[in-house]
Amino acid sequence: MEARIQKMRNIGISAHIDSGKTTLSERILFYCQRIHAIHEVRGKDGVGATMDSMELERERGITIQSASTNVTWKDHVINVIDTPGHVDFTIEVERALRVLDGAILVLDSVGGVQSQTLTVNRQLGRYNVPFIAFVNKCDRTGANPVRVRDQIEEKLGHNAVLLQLPIGLEDKFVGVVDLISMKAQYYEGDFGEIIRETEIPAELAQQAEQYRETLLDAASMFSDELAEAYLEGEVQPQQVIDAVRAGTLSRQLVPVYMGSAYKNKGVQALLDGVVRYLPNPAELTYTALDLNNDEEPVDLTPESTAPTVALAFKLEEGQYGQLTYMRVYQGSIKKGMELYNSRARKKVKIGRLIRMHADTTTDINEAPAGDIVAIFGIDCASGDTFVDPSLNYSMTSMYVPNPVISLAVKAKDKSAEDNMGKALNRFTKEDPTFRSFVDPESNETIIQGMGELHLEVYIERMKREYRADVETGMPQVAYREAISARAEFDYTHKKQTGGSGQFARVAGFIEPLDEGDYEFVDSIKGGVIPNEYIPSCDKGFRTAMQKGTVIGFPIVGVRVAINDGATHPVDSSDMAFQAAALGAFRQTYAKTKPVILEPIMKVSVEGPTEYQGSIFGSLNQRRGIILASSEDGSFSTVEAEVPLSEMFGYATVLRSLSQGKAEFSMEFLKYGRVPQSVAEELIKKYQESKNKESK
Amino acid sequence: MVKEELVQRSPLRILEKSIQGGLGAGNLGIIASRKGVGKTACLVHIATDSLLQGKHVIHVSFSSRTDHIISWYEDIYREIAATRELEDAMEVHDSLVRNRVVMNFSQRGIEAEQLIQSLRAMIVHGGFAADVIMVDGYDFALGSPESLEALKSFAQEVGLSIWFSATLHREQPQVDENGVPVILAPYMDCVSVLITLEPAPEHVKLRLVKEHDRYVHEDLSLVLDSRTLLIADPAQLDSK
Repeated sequence: MEARIQKMRNIGISAHIDSGKTTLSERILFYCQRIHAIHEVRGKDGVGATMDSMELERERGITIQSASTNVTWKDHVINVIDTPGHVDFTIEVERALRVLDGAILVLDSVGGVQSQTLTVNRQLGRYNVPFIAFVNKCDRTGANPVRVRDQIEEKLGHNAVLLQLPIGLEDKFVGVVDLISMKAQYYEGDFGEIIRETEIPAELAQQAEQYRETLLDAASMFSDELAEAYLEGEVQPQQVIDAVRAGTLSRQLVPVYMGSAYKNKGVQALLDGVVRYLPNPAELTYTALDLNNDEEPVDLTPESTAPTVALAFKLEEGQYGQLTYMRVYQGSIKKGMELYNSRARKKVKIGRLIRMHADTTTDINEAPAGDIVAIFGIDCASGDTFVDPSLNYSMTSMYVPNPVISLAVKAKDKSAEDNMGKALNRFTKEDPTFRSFVDPESNETIIQGMGELHLEVYIERMKREYRADVETGMPQVAYREAISARAEFDYTHKKQTGGSGQFARVAGFIEPLDEGDYEFVDSIKGGVIPNEYIPSCDKGFRTAMQKGTVIGFPIVGVRVAINDGATHPVDSSDMAFQAAALGAFRQTYAKTKPVILEPIMKVSVEGPTEYQGSIFGSLNQRRGIILASSEDGSFSTVEAEVPLSEMFGYATVLRSLSQGKAEFSMEFLKYGRVPQSVAEELIKKYQESKNKESK
Repeated sequence: MVKEELVQRSPLRILEKSIQGGLGAGNLGIIASRKGVGKTACLVHIATDSLLQGKHVIHVSFSSRTDHIISWYEDIYREIAATRELEDAMEVHDSLVRNRVVMNFSQRGIEAEQLIQSLRAMIVHGGFAADVIMVDGYDFALGSPESLEALKSFAQEVGLSIWFSATLHREQPQVDENGVPVILAPYMDCVSVLITLEPAPEHVKLRLVKEHDRYVHEDLSLVLDSRTLLIADPAQLDSK
């Protein structure tokens, strides 16, 4: 293994919103001496944290886009990928996780494991990312890092172990006891840059011994050498570190650090932890799919001399055009080399190669295996794989959820319209969960995404970055139609209008399909429908699926089987069979007892227990099913399933009923049947709008 | 089997017969046993039986995770639906979920007042018209008869019944002259039904100790099936 790769770390910082993730990222940059002054996220001095390069983020105080930043800590190169915390932007988180080798999970010392911590934990699990925990905000009133560790164990199901104990808490928080070196560390100086190491204060000595034992017990599971040394009472610090590292890499142990990024305490120890416990790129096995060999998975070798395989995981509109962030999995990327985009099937030449440091950049000539770089001047979409021209690999496709909400947008004038087009083109390339298209019927531009806030942010970005002022329609839920009963059909399409006519007959049945959107079964015997027309039938049915007649939304969960038909030697054609299939479906649809489905969201609301009643009430009013509520002292979490259509504006409602103290997150759960009364309302509205159009 | 028939033929009807038709609104009942014998399974079965009758149930727990409780309900439901070949099992399940809420409290020995406040929030503000509350893991060693009195008057006010599970520790096997485990004796004034679970060679037996105003000590001729953890009629079990 190359020495260079051993000293490389690609890490992400994941957290619940407002856990202080951005502040932490910024302190990491500071201690790595990339920036020389500390700015607060919410920008008292108007400068803003260095990680947030977008103006909009500064105003909202949340991080929307992940920017990859390169820092050096004790001769290790660390690429830090800042990930957004809001659940509406989880595709960004997922994309970042894809290219990470390890992560820091930031938890609030008071809130502990919160709703989004659970989401993020699931995501880390999905991509098998080893992580260390950082209990932030130990200076806050009610801080309790020990309890947070308990929660990581109970609520996240991880075997978590404290590596430190706090010295003082809340406003008296001054440092930590390191349970490996058994020393007290005080963070002093204006920016906590001076670490004073002393003996453990007498009042903490006993507690420290006790927690050290817990640590050694847990770590011994991963190293026989440590277990032996432990029994003999001669434990060396390096043995503990090696054992904890083994546990962390196998995701069976989570080391817990603590501190306060805002108060400049504990960040340097955390950086040591990144270097000590998180893997270098060569310690993980990544696979690509060989497109020349039926997508057979191939293990990649993290060596710079091997043929190149890299993934474009992030696009940004930079000063000099499109900036593409790439992770190199195998081989290296060199300035001037030629790479092949296996999705677009195009060769591209690598122009400028750049290392990103939040807002500044350095030109480089080569990025070795394992590294993350940015490249100027190549045109591609997010998720594209770039390989040496001798290969035809693709990295596995990312998990991309379908959008659940849509909105009509209209540019205010001609120039705005052009700019809107450019903006949409860019956004859809950057974010696979964001889609846009022109509705052929209303001629409106429709944008789709994962939630209200998700779309709102893009509309804001259109205004700011592209000067595209747009008007928006009402958010529209992505309903679906489905069938609930089996029905048979027998339909003949016949047209005789002089010249060559059209004739086709299809018969069979339609029935509900439990899994999947659509299935076509060909049970034609004896060639009553010639083979050449079978795909025509399939196509006709597919056309019918695109728009149901109940409320005009796509139809899902349908199996169509054809088992009989007829043909005419002259008048049958591809078109005739398509028309027959379409006609057959339309005629039979009503007999299948169609129902309307709506997206149901899994909603989690957190807040002080005193607002519990109002929270229950607000969910109940929204046709929500409350599944569970958990009270932990004065803090409670409510989990519910609520239809998306009822969740519009909920952020405002929740804020006002809890004086801004409660917050919620939601993600798509499933499609569920709309209750009768709501269905009638939807049907009425659809009929009205249709009548209007026909007038 | 359709839902109505399933309810009618439930072994819980045998239990109801023995306690004058049921626990009744405004009353408290206790299921007591040593750890790991099957109290939670009993509570969840009784709750599921109520849910099948269209009643609303709140399940109060003191564990760390609500998903464990929810999987108890899923397992018990799956067993019932499978052994009784319930029709439309999916749809019945969905309607059950709608009528069930789990409320979890992290602290043991939580004050009755706080518990009532949260229950009230769910029932009044949340519009969840609970008929039965299951309190799993109430610590009778830490609690006080006054707390239980408060819960009883809450039950009477709202018109619902509350079932508790009580853990008997190894070191407290003694019973008083009525056959009530000593740890529960101070509470008996406000408890209408007390059932104990007694491990027997094959299945756990349900024994009725108190039934409304009288102390009895009768075998309910019900057992907890050691395989499915469902309350069952031993006669039916043998016939299989």
